[in-house]
Amino acid sequence: MPILQALVFATIFCGFFGIFLKQNLVMKILSMDVMSTGVIAFYVLIAARGGFFTPILDTAEPSVGYADPVPQAVILTAIVIGFSIQALMLVGVMKLSRDNPTLESREIEKTYSP
Amino acid sequence: MTAVMSLETATLVWIALPFLIGFSIYLLPKLARPAAMVMACLSWVYSLLLLQQDTALTMQLMDSFGVTLQLDALSGYFVLTNAMVTAAVLLYCWSSNKGAFFYTQVMVLHGAVNSAFICADFISLYVALEVIGVASFLLMTYARSDRAIWVGLRYLFISNTAMLFYLMGAVLLYQSGGTFAFAGLAQAPPEAIALMTLGLLTKGGIFVSGLWLPLTHSQAETPVSAMLSGVVVKTGVFPLVRCALLFPELQPLLGLLGVGTALLGVGYAMFEKDAKRMLAFHTVSQLGFVLAAPAVAGFYALTHGLVKSALFLGAGQLPDRNFKVLQKQPIAWPLWGVLAIAALSISGLPLLAGFGAKTLTLKTVQPWQVIGMNLAALGTAISFAKFIFLPHGNSKEGSLTASAEQPAATSINNPGFWLAMGLLLGGLVLANGFYLEAYSFKSMAKAMLTLGSGWSVYWLVIRQVPLKLPSMMEQFDNLIGTMSLMLTLLFWMVLA
Repeated sequence: MPILQALVFATIFCGFFGIFLKQNLVMKILSMDVMSTGVIAFYVLIAARGGFFTPILDTAEPSVGYADPVPQAVILTAIVIGFSIQALMLVGVMKLSRDNPTLESREIEKTYSP
Repeated sequence: MTAVMSLETATLVWIALPFLIGFSIYLLPKLARPAAMVMACLSWVYSLLLLQQDTALTMQLMDSFGVTLQLDALSGYFVLTNAMVTAAVLLYCWSSNKGAFFYTQVMVLHGAVNSAFICADFISLYVALEVIGVASFLLMTYARSDRAIWVGLRYLFISNTAMLFYLMGAVLLYQSGGTFAFAGLAQAPPEAIALMTLGLLTKGGIFVSGLWLPLTHSQAETPVSAMLSGVVVKTGVFPLVRCALLFPELQPLLGLLGVGTALLGVGYAMFEKDAKRMLAFHTVSQLGFVLAAPAVAGFYALTHGLVKSALFLGAGQLPDRNFKVLQKQPIAWPLWGVLAIAALSISGLPLLAGFGAKTLTLKTVQPWQVIGMNLAALGTAISFAKFIFLPHGNSKEGSLTASAEQPAATSINNPGFWLAMGLLLGGLVLANGFYLEAYSFKSMAKAMLTLGSGWSVYWLVIRQVPLKLPSMMEQFDNLIGTMSLMLTLLFWMVLA
């Protein structure tokens, strides 16, 4: 479990650093996706503290360790929201790429700053 | 309304209605403006119901782990702000050629902001904040210019990254207490508090995490900036205020951040040469006043929301955004009049509600905050002198330049603009009723003294100094990087 947790945090950090170290806007969006994957994994990990069984109540085996359904339900909402935001951002980037084909964020920022 | 149905039922209907109206608008574009206006009025009625609520009413929907709502007077003030600002923006846009899509987004934003103001658990709050983020992005990019898209993308990036940190904090909170409710914060580990505070500070535009705000709010279209600065940023501050009231041990941390952001924002605003950017920096500063005194945050947020949206709507009518140009070009006196009234209110002139709010806040803050907050109040008076001392002249000339700059529908001759201003400024005068005790000789003398010294500093120092503060901290990469620094800082502050 601790190794898994360390890996999850490593994913989150890689994603976070990618957001501001990568120059290309598409890479930035992908980094954000990596970060959100890390966060989702973190939720799943915490849900699995009590056990790995799918939390569907079964009268035959009452004493197995069920996974906690609450964080899973919550993160499902967050996945959907994250997905829709990503879609919106990619549409925005597509529009921007018409006039800024390299999609370098520094250049774009310089062009559109007052 | 209470006679017809209970407050619980009214709340459920009121929460669902804006989304219902929003999506029906898309099907029936003819009804867009009246339907949206009816919704704003309903929110107004509902907020008055909340304001009469002496004890907080807690609602738990869908059993345990469900949505928790908390209805009290504090929410009432914030909902009232939302209703007034939305109504003013709708009036302002009434005769413009905005499509149904615009009004749909306004309604979705209105509904999401409303739900953020009454929810009492971190996951409902998360959903509300994300909906707000998406709706604000769509409103910002309504013009579809490349610049608008870039500003919107930058906003969405920052807000989404902040919300990822927030989500991590939320699950740590759940791990320790088995609940997502605000009340579960009691057993929360410091890292959970630090992560969630970072998310909310960034969303709410506070201290260095809020430096994304000036560019975003100044580049958006006039009505959109009015909504963003008037209510939307307050959705990040409101949960912090709510938690500070629930857990007094959080108050030193948030109070310190409040003083910090009040001084930071006002420092930038004093030297800013661009009218809309100055107003946006001022939002950063005023949120500090809201945060510094959680007990009276509602009233301050109301006055600030009214003033800031009035100022943004007014500044959109100015012939130019640069103060240097404006100082040489007289503007129409009615426009100057509304701008000056709003600016005087935020500087704290008696007779306007800004005075009562400022007096109440300064009276409530802790002794160690007093010096910082008074300095910030002085800075407010200094920076708003820029609006008050704008040259004004014959209305003919001014309105002609204004309409040359703007499309005809949103020019100064637009009756919707004056109705919106009437609503906001009228609200400012009436809001005095919330705190009439402010009118003592001592506090009036203090307000006049602050105003007088602020104006003299403006004439003697600020007008002469051509200093321009660097905007390096507002670069996208630096904003994201600052989040990690701020997270470390918050963690140590929570531990201390």
